[in-house]
Amino acid sequence: MLGLMTVDPAGDLAPAAPATKEELLGRVAHGDQSAFGELYDQIAPRVLGLVKRLLVDHAQSEEVTQEIFLEIWQSAARFEPTRGGASTWILTMAHRRAVDRIRSSQAGRDRDTKIGIRDLAVAYDHVAETVEVRLEHERVERAMTRLTELQRQAVSLAYYGGFSHSEVADKLQIPLGTVKTRLRDGLIRLRDELGVAS
Amino acid sequence: MTDQNDSPREQHPADLAGGYALHALDAQDTAAYEAHLAESERARIETAELNDTAAALGLAVAPVQPSAALKTNLMSMLASTPQLPAAAPSAAEHATTAASAIVPGAAPVAGPTPKLGAPGLGAPELGAEGSSPNVGLRATEPADTDTDSDTDATPPAGRIRSAADSAGRGATTAEERAQARWFKRPASFLLAAAAAVALFVGGTFLGQTLNDNQFASQQAAGLAQINAADDSQRAATTTADGQEATLVWSNKLGISAVLVDNLPALPNDQDYQLWYINAEGVIPAGTFDSSGDGTVWRVLDGTMHAGDAVGVTVEPAGGSDQPTTDPIVAFQS
Repeated sequence: MLGLMTVDPAGDLAPAAPATKEELLGRVAHGDQSAFGELYDQIAPRVLGLVKRLLVDHAQSEEVTQEIFLEIWQSAARFEPTRGGASTWILTMAHRRAVDRIRSSQAGRDRDTKIGIRDLAVAYDHVAETVEVRLEHERVERAMTRLTELQRQAVSLAYYGGFSHSEVADKLQIPLGTVKTRLRDGLIRLRDELGVAS
Repeated sequence: MTDQNDSPREQHPADLAGGYALHALDAQDTAAYEAHLAESERARIETAELNDTAAALGLAVAPVQPSAALKTNLMSMLASTPQLPAAAPSAAEHATTAASAIVPGAAPVAGPTPKLGAPGLGAPELGAEGSSPNVGLRATEPADTDTDSDTDATPPAGRIRSAADSAGRGATTAEERAQARWFKRPASFLLAAAAAVALFVGGTFLGQTLNDNQFASQQAAGLAQINAADDSQRAATTTADGQEATLVWSNKLGISAVLVDNLPALPNDQDYQLWYINAEGVIPAGTFDSSGDGTVWRVLDGTMHAGDAVGVTVEPAGGSDQPTTDPIVAFQS
């Protein structure tokens, strides 16, 4: 049931992909450095892309990306393939690390001046480099259009902006309780649209 | 402000599912939601699905190519970065402890599925990689950064102390030196010279004093944090018996770890004990054991302050309040 994983359907569309990320993670769990290198090559740009989306600053984003990959190395044995794809596992970790960095440092405040609500939809300034990414982007963008405006803004601010509940409430000028329910029902709608279900 | 008769703490914790998956909750709400998770299978399923949904949002972001230095740097750190065993703590424990920093995804629905129990790495071919190329990697790190990380690499001046002098002291009798309360005069025994080398050498093994998984996680997380800190430093020396010993630390994080090669195993009624030594006195910082070969290491308990000295003594099992023997090794940070 929970094994059903549709988030990363195109994960291995790359021509002649030698090993899936799940296989690589399994080898990394046993201390295989070359598997780690391969996994890094496959997913580091996704990780850095997401982290930089939140942190904006490139140097800081690389630092956090380094922490994320060290964590992948350390905790690869805790990845459970039955639960979801490796990309999901890694991007969840990446998002949490990026948010931690925002909360714990000056990064959040510096970044505030650079980030506005304007670009917090699924911003996508340049052409995707791969079919995989483009498809995923279009799929998410389409799903996003199914949300109410308030849901979309709240989810975007929280996920792509890395803002906390109360920050989202401030920015949108709505009560905290409303933010909570909008985040939840917004994500549930997205889940259904994206087909992430049990 | 924006709150009208809106009292968040009284809401049903299930409402927090979205914020939890988006990492938007504060600590209090996170704890509340995790308590709810521990009780509700339905919430665990929802959370797993919403986590996956959030990750889908992440996969829609345009990739950004990292600098080449990032991979080089990472690869060089692997040999000295311990890996965690597979067994996961229970769902509720996850995110409320330090271990959550290192157990991603919080996998609340996941039961423990032990896959392997090898926290130590150190395959022989990896040892070679760790032995020297690490040095200076920090310095070559992101040329394109605009942070102050390159200035962090500047070594603290004037920390070098006379190893010869200190080594000589190893010859005096234990009683004599214990009498002299070694920790009251740190400068006279300090062996180690600080150096601004960000990364440690390879061949690190988890010091298995305890089987406690949580403890191991925290320890590994601590070591990784030091390793990843942009101000991490190390001081290397040898013990009284000639084993190589290293202190690694980050002043910013206030944590340190001691690593010793081939430290002899102790009888059951004794432990190695760590100490922070500073103007406040001598502060116990945890005990550990050694199997006798490989590298044993331990992250010190408590907070390190810049300039603290760190010592290791042999104490009765369980440790002492104050050192009762001479240090086998000591460092000046």
